[in-house]
Amino acid sequence: MIIPKEVKQKPFEYIILLICLVIGFIFYILIGDNQARRWIIYSVGIVYFAWSLYHHYQRGDLQLSIVVEYLLVILFGIVFISGTLF
Amino acid sequence: MLKKLWTHYFIPQEKNNHRATLLKPNFLLFFLILYLLNQSVIKTLVIIKPGILGYSSEITVQKVLDQTNNERKNLGLESLSYNSILSQSAQKKAEDMFENDYWAHNSPQGKTPWTFFDASGYKYSVAGENLAKDFYNTESLIKAWMNSPTHKANIVHQKYKEIGIAVVNGTIDGIKTTLVVEHFGTPLIGQIETSSTLTNDSQVSKSSGVKTGNILAGNSEKLISPLTVSKIFNSAIFIVLVIVLFVDGYITIKNNVHRLTGSTVGHIGFLIFIFLLMIYNQQGSIF
Repeated sequence: MIIPKEVKQKPFEYIILLICLVIGFIFYILIGDNQARRWIIYSVGIVYFAWSLYHHYQRGDLQLSIVVEYLLVILFGIVFISGTLF
Repeated sequence: MLKKLWTHYFIPQEKNNHRATLLKPNFLLFFLILYLLNQSVIKTLVIIKPGILGYSSEITVQKVLDQTNNERKNLGLESLSYNSILSQSAQKKAEDMFENDYWAHNSPQGKTPWTFFDASGYKYSVAGENLAKDFYNTESLIKAWMNSPTHKANIVHQKYKEIGIAVVNGTIDGIKTTLVVEHFGTPLIGQIETSSTLTNDSQVSKSSGVKTGNILAGNSEKLISPLTVSKIFNSAIFIVLVIVLFVDGYITIKNNVHRLTGSTVGHIGFLIFIFLLMIYNQQGSIF
């Protein structure tokens, strides 16, 4: 199995990200209300953004272009799922 | 030439600074705008030409119940109680329409709305039926019902005490659609009214009590559902993005390239999370 170098270097950061995503998914399944589900998706997006800031700060390469990239990926994901489900 | 373009957009290499062009912020922004544009077209279609859309992800039993009761409350009427037997009846009616490929109160086999009330074991003194299909959201559905005197008459009928609702997806006449069936009723207590009239397709009254039925639908022409097209289009954008991320990640690992970009693994993880939600909802009650 190929494990990316970035994961090998900072395994705990990726494990934390994985746990956050899994918790988000579990909450989404357990909560049936659409409004609450919407907030779960937003929350996971915010958590991912916070994770990215911490991750790149630790790596010493936190730059505006990277922040913009994360924002766009998160926005794309949230807009995609919101537009499709709600 | 085509190969060059292909590799430039999809494969990380020296020429694109070791990042697939499709993953660069300006292209991500382009995807986002493209997606929003597509959504806007759908919303506009809902307003300009309601009733041509396919599966709705928005309409739920709870919302139909709440908004039906809101309309009654606005007129100072009692709320209708949710009745699971009436819901079974509504569900059976919807399933029957899909199974036998029809869109009417009376089935080609001669089943009337009241057949489903009886089959579910709901004994009524007064009963009614509202039908709708091809609506994108609950608000537009209730609004359309309230704008139709015959449907409104069912919603604000003073004699009804209970309601059952079914929101079911399926295919009628080759078009994917969401059917909404409302079955209204008042449990049988005491004397039974007897009358028997059959007017037109949108008003039915017969047998032991007052029964009314209403159909509401948008355009039933054989059109490709814009919602389906939109979903396919949006899913295609999403899948392309994930595939490019995978290819990008793989080639970067293979070539051991160091670059100043966001984490490909992180992006893949986040987008897989979004994808899993999609899959979960396809199997759940929303779709």
